[in-house]
Amino acid sequence: MASAAETTLFRSRRRRRFWGHTLRAAIPYSLILPVLVVIGVILGYPLYWLVRLSTERYGLFELIRHAGVSVGFDNFSSVLRDPVFWHTLLRTVVFTAVNVSLTMGVGMLLALLLVRVSTAVRVLLSSGLVLVWSMPVVVAVQVWLWMTNFQNGVANYVLTQLHLGDFIRHDWYATTFSQLSLVTLLIVWGALPFVVITLYAGLAQVPRDLVEAAEVDGARPWRVFLDITLPILRPILLILTSLSIIWDFGVFTQPYLLIGQSKITTGNYLMSVYLFEEGYFKSDFGRGAAISILMLLIVAVLSVVYVRKMVRIGEAQ
Amino acid sequence: MKRRSIVALCLVAVAAAAVAAATSGATKKATASSITVWLQIDAQSGWPDVVAAASQKFQSDHPGTTVNLQYQNWGDHLQKFDATLAGGGGADVIEMGNTEMTKYMAAGAFDDLSSAKSSFDNSASWLKGLAASGVFGGKLYGVPYYAGSRVVTYRSDLFKKAGISKLPATTAQYVADAKKLLAKNPKKGFSPVYIAGTDWYVGMGFVFDYGGGIATQVSGKWKGLLDSPKSIAGLTAYKNFFLATSRASKSTDETHPNPYDVYAQGEAASMVGPSWFSCCVGAKYKGTTAQFVMPGHVKGQAIPGFLGGSDLAVPVTSSNKALAADWIKDFTSTSSEKALQAKGNIPNATSLLGSSVNERAAARSWFVPTAKHWVDVENGNILRNMLAQILSGKLSIKQAASSASDNIASVLNQP
Repeated sequence: MASAAETTLFRSRRRRRFWGHTLRAAIPYSLILPVLVVIGVILGYPLYWLVRLSTERYGLFELIRHAGVSVGFDNFSSVLRDPVFWHTLLRTVVFTAVNVSLTMGVGMLLALLLVRVSTAVRVLLSSGLVLVWSMPVVVAVQVWLWMTNFQNGVANYVLTQLHLGDFIRHDWYATTFSQLSLVTLLIVWGALPFVVITLYAGLAQVPRDLVEAAEVDGARPWRVFLDITLPILRPILLILTSLSIIWDFGVFTQPYLLIGQSKITTGNYLMSVYLFEEGYFKSDFGRGAAISILMLLIVAVLSVVYVRKMVRIGEAQ
Repeated sequence: MKRRSIVALCLVAVAAAAVAAATSGATKKATASSITVWLQIDAQSGWPDVVAAASQKFQSDHPGTTVNLQYQNWGDHLQKFDATLAGGGGADVIEMGNTEMTKYMAAGAFDDLSSAKSSFDNSASWLKGLAASGVFGGKLYGVPYYAGSRVVTYRSDLFKKAGISKLPATTAQYVADAKKLLAKNPKKGFSPVYIAGTDWYVGMGFVFDYGGGIATQVSGKWKGLLDSPKSIAGLTAYKNFFLATSRASKSTDETHPNPYDVYAQGEAASMVGPSWFSCCVGAKYKGTTAQFVMPGHVKGQAIPGFLGGSDLAVPVTSSNKALAADWIKDFTSTSSEKALQAKGNIPNATSLLGSSVNERAAARSWFVPTAKHWVDVENGNILRNMLAQILSGKLSIKQAASSASDNIASVLNQP
C-alpha cells in the first residue's frame, strides 16, 4: 500500500531532482550572467543613448540644460542631404580600399618572407614588427610629424642625400593627396605587425608534404600559392580583411593629429573626422550621433558584402 | 562559526568605510578649498608672473582657498569646456577669446555678472570693442581681460647690417628692405619677414588695408565680401608680400612652428605678431630686438591690425561663483592691468592706455563679423584654407576668394 508518507517522500524526491536538474542546467548561464550584465551596461546603455540622441536636437543650449528636444529623423535627413557627407563618404571608401589592399598585400608578402628567411633574420624582423605594434598611436604620430617637418625634418634630408630630388623644405602637407598618402603610410605601417604575425601563424598550418607534392608535379611557386596556400588561409584572410575594413573606415587619431586641426577642411575630411567636426566643434551632438549611426550601417554593409563574396568564392572552389 | 564571524567582520569593515567616505565628502563640501582657473597658454609664455601675483592677492584675501591654475590650448579648449558643461568638474574662471564669446553667451553658458560690474576696476572706461564681446541681451557675462594688435618684432642688428637706416613706412618699402636683407643673409630658408602661410590675422590685415572685408549683414542676412574688388586687391597684395618676404610653409599656421621659435633660431630678420612675442626671442637676440608698427600700403598709415582679445567668464556650472568673481577682480585690477601693459598687451580700459608700439598699432584695427556662428568659420578653417590655396597657386585668387566668401555666408546664415 503506498502510504501517504511514502507518496510524499516520492514526490519530494522528484521535486528535489527536478530542481536539482534545473539548478545544474542554470549554472553555466549564471556564471556568465555577471559578464553579460557588465557588457550590457557598458555597451548597451551608451548605444541606447546614441540612438536616442540621433533623434533629438541637442546643441550647446540643450547640453547646458541636460535635456534634448525630440525631432524624429531630422538629423538623418539633414546629414543625407549634405553634399559634404557624400564627398566624404566617397573619399573614405577609396581611402579604406587603398589602406586595406596595402595592408593585406604587403602583410602577405612579409609573412611569406618570414617563412623563408633564416632564424636570425626572422627574429630581427619579428622584433621590429612587435616594436612597431607596441608604439602608442599618438607617440607614433608625433614622431612622424618630426620626421616630415618642413624646416628640419629628417625625411627631407635623407631623400635629398639619396639624390631623389631636392626635398629640402618640402611641405608634405601642402596638398590633400600628400596629406592622405602620409596618413595611409602611417596607418599601414601600424597595421602590418598584427597582419604579418597572424598570417605567419596561419602559414604554419599549410602542410609541407602537400607543397612538396605539388612542386614534384612541376607546379610553379605562384600556382602553389594560389591553389594550396590561399585556400588554407582563406578564413584568416577573411577575418583580417573584415577587421581592417572596420578599423580603417573609422580611423580618427592618425588623420586628425597628422594633418593637424588647422589644416582640416571639408576637402580632406574622412568620415570620423567629419563626425568629430560636426558633432563636437559645432556642438551639434544630435547630428554627430546621426552620423555615427550612419557610419555603423555603412561599415556593416561593406563588411557583409565582402564576407558574402569571399564565402561564395570559397564555396565555388 | 568561524566562517560566519569572518563574514560579519567584513560587513562591518565595509560599512565603516562607507560611513567614513560619506562624512568626509560632506565636510569637504562645506568649505571651498580651491577654485579652478583656465587661462590660455599665451599667459604661460608671456606673463606668468602677473598671473601668480593675482593669485597671491586672492589667496591672502581668502585664506584657505587655493587657486588651481590650468593652461589650455586655443585648438581644443572649447571641446574641453563643452565636456565640463555636460559632465561637471570644470573651471570656475575661464578665459575665452572675444570671437568665441557670442556662441556660448547665446547658449547660456556663463553666470550673469551685471550686478558685480561696478566692483571691477575701471569698469566705467572699459575698451568699447572689447567690452562689447562680453555683453549679450543687455547682461554682462564676460569681463574684458586684455587686447592686442599686431606689430613687427625685428632684429635691429640685421637691419643695420643690410643698410636699412630708416624703418619702412609703406609695405612696398618693406619689400625693398626685405630684398636687401635676403642679399645679406643668403642661407636657404631665411625669412626677412616671417609670416606663416595661413596666418589669417596678418593676411586679413592686408584685405582691410585696401578697404575690403570678410562679411557684412544686409537686411538681416550675411553676405560674404572676400570676392569684392577691394578684398581681391588686398589678397593680391598679401600674396606678393608673402612670396617676397617669407620662407615659411605656405600651408602651416602661426603656431606650428611658433614665429618666435623661428626667430630665436636666427632664421628670421623680423616677424609679424602680437607684441608679447618679444618675451620668447631667446637670450641671444634679446638685446638686439625692437618693435615697430607694421606699415600699410599708403604712407603714414599703419596696416589694420587684428584687435584680438580675451574675456574672463564664470561658467554656469561653477560651484564657487562668488570666489571666481573675486579672482577675476584681482586679475583685472588696475595694478594687474598695468603689469599686462608692461608685457606688451593693451589693457582693458581707455583710462589706462599709453603710447606703446602695441597701442599705436591698435589705432587702426579690424575685427571679425559679430555673428553667433563666426566661431564655426574659424574652426572650419575656411580663411586658412583660402590663404593656402592662394599662396600655393592651386587656385586663382578670384576662385579661392569667391568659394570662401560663399562658404562663410552659408555658415554665418545658419539658424
